[in-house]
Amino acid sequence: MRSAQRRSARLLALPLALLLLTAACGNDSDSAGTGTEEPGATGGGGATSGTINISGSSTVLPVSQLVAEAYADAGNQANVNVDGPGTGDGFQLFCEGETDISDASRPIKAEEIATCEQNGIEFVELRIAIDGLSIISNTSFDALECLNFADMYALSGPESQGFDNWTDAQAIAGELGSQTQFPDLPLDISAPGEESGTYDSYVELVIETYNEDRGQEAQTRPDYQSSGDDNIILQGIQGSPSSYGWVGYAYFVENEGQVKAFQVASEPGGECVAPTPETIASGDYPISRPLFIYVNAEKAESNAALAPFVDFYLSEEGISAVAQAGYVDIPEADLEETRSTWDSRTTGANFASE
Amino acid sequence: MSISAPLSSGISAEAVRRRLHGQRFDLPGIVVHVALLLSLLFSLVVLGVLVYDLVSGGWDVFASRFASFLSGTMRFAASESGIAQALRGTLWIGVFVVALAFPFGIGAAVYLEEYAPDNRLTRVIDINIRNLAGVPSIVYGILGFAVFVKTLSGLTGGRSVIAGGITLAILVLPVVIITAAEAIRAVPDDLRQGGYGLGATRWEVTRTQVLPYAAPGILTGTVLSLARALGEAAPLILVGAVVGRLGSNPGLFDIGSLDQRFTALPIVITYWAGLPQPDFRALTAAAIVVVLAIVLAANAAAILMRNRYESKRG
Repeated sequence: MRSAQRRSARLLALPLALLLLTAACGNDSDSAGTGTEEPGATGGGGATSGTINISGSSTVLPVSQLVAEAYADAGNQANVNVDGPGTGDGFQLFCEGETDISDASRPIKAEEIATCEQNGIEFVELRIAIDGLSIISNTSFDALECLNFADMYALSGPESQGFDNWTDAQAIAGELGSQTQFPDLPLDISAPGEESGTYDSYVELVIETYNEDRGQEAQTRPDYQSSGDDNIILQGIQGSPSSYGWVGYAYFVENEGQVKAFQVASEPGGECVAPTPETIASGDYPISRPLFIYVNAEKAESNAALAPFVDFYLSEEGISAVAQAGYVDIPEADLEETRSTWDSRTTGANFASE
Repeated sequence: MSISAPLSSGISAEAVRRRLHGQRFDLPGIVVHVALLLSLLFSLVVLGVLVYDLVSGGWDVFASRFASFLSGTMRFAASESGIAQALRGTLWIGVFVVALAFPFGIGAAVYLEEYAPDNRLTRVIDINIRNLAGVPSIVYGILGFAVFVKTLSGLTGGRSVIAGGITLAILVLPVVIITAAEAIRAVPDDLRQGGYGLGATRWEVTRTQVLPYAAPGILTGTVLSLARALGEAAPLILVGAVVGRLGSNPGLFDIGSLDQRFTALPIVITYWAGLPQPDFRALTAAAIVVVLAIVLAANAAAILMRNRYESKRG
């Protein structure tokens, strides 16, 4: 009886003791937390320690991640966190002053600039790389080699809802002046969902070529297999011999041989261009987009760790991460422009976007 | 005369049973038997395939670089990536669940079952706790973000493992209360009456009779809820677990950095599973195996403790 008593007392005492312990720890870490920045800055390697929070596009994430790794491997003490919830979510955090750098797979939008202004946040816009979209299908699909924007609009634009055979899109493509003959095969579309920057780019670059003239919303058809996960898109593309979809160029390169990439022409009768690093960098390949980082201008002054990190980001060593992550380097002249924008801390958006 | 006389004259028990069933072949009985067996086999096969798939997928990682996988950080290259930061986050989440959800949950259950009067109010509270247990975890994530990341950021450090741990502790709190209350309710009333009859106070009866008797059931429920907390990803994403790169890699027991950004195993698994590089698929499988091992260890500990209590009770 007595042992059972003691045991049950222990049963209660254990969690209670843990509770007290963690409560004590909570206080501990709280006081330590506010203090970490100070001792770190004086005790570490001078101005390089501190914390840098980066968030934004999951497309740009690997680039910032690689730069941060190289920066840490070079012996810098700064604590660089990189997150990738998406360009839009990233700007939301950025314009609330929560992050130091925002990764973006498109230029900042006017409404996002307004939010930033409301909160008194100025930014330096830095173009760092180019990403191409690859229009993909199953490797066994050999009916077509080249698609133009009119074909792509006809297959996946707002008017294509319900099309489940390539020939269903023939009429719209014809109206837009395309001579492409679609095969009589099932049309199975797998592509990124609306939350993804890749979806935004597809709509902006391809769909918006035609939708206004035809009185349609700037969006794709809603009825396709959408996923935020590139691997699932890939499975969808491989799962049908006559599939259609689009992914980031870097992802296509990772899986080259497993899917086929169409050549693309920007208009009916235009030149068909295959996605390669050369055609994307030169701008010949019509569906490519610039990638940016946005740096909080005020934090570049107040956070001692931030400016050296961005310096490193734009250095030869830092920017080599672009190729490593599978994207295309911007031409040397543009890179120089980016560097001078940063060096002069020129704020504001230069790449228009509505 | 006894009725054994006719039986001894060549009529077997089997014959009697057949006669009772109208000499029919017991088809429904056999169908049910087979169906139940198939249900069990189905669960086992699914589980077996899952475990085989994961272990075979992650085997290369364990075989070639077990130590560096456990001690490594989240990196771009799969060959250099590891789960040290995620393990740390998951461990501390477990600590918060044990330290917060267990005592508060068990305390609330004891109050509801042993102390509270059985009136309309307590029944409403009881029903509401049951409803809370069914609320999607993402809702708790929103709560955690609003309260522990924003409002109480001075205490938690904002997007920290403290905020994440408290959020998940609250997430499993209703489950802990319900299972503990069920276990306490199952204690025979005779035990209580006996205690009262000997002049014990309510707390003495609870402490010496009810809790020891209910301990095995309480343990099972609490450990199951711990396993659930360790596997949750959605609330942590809202609370701000880092999906990508976490700059710091403090030691497992470095209490001073609990208010810094963090990540956890389910988060890393979600992130790796979506990466394009095929090498990360092996890492994903290996990380899932680690989660399974942790949950299994927790369950095993619970079973061991339960058996000890049960043998005491017997």
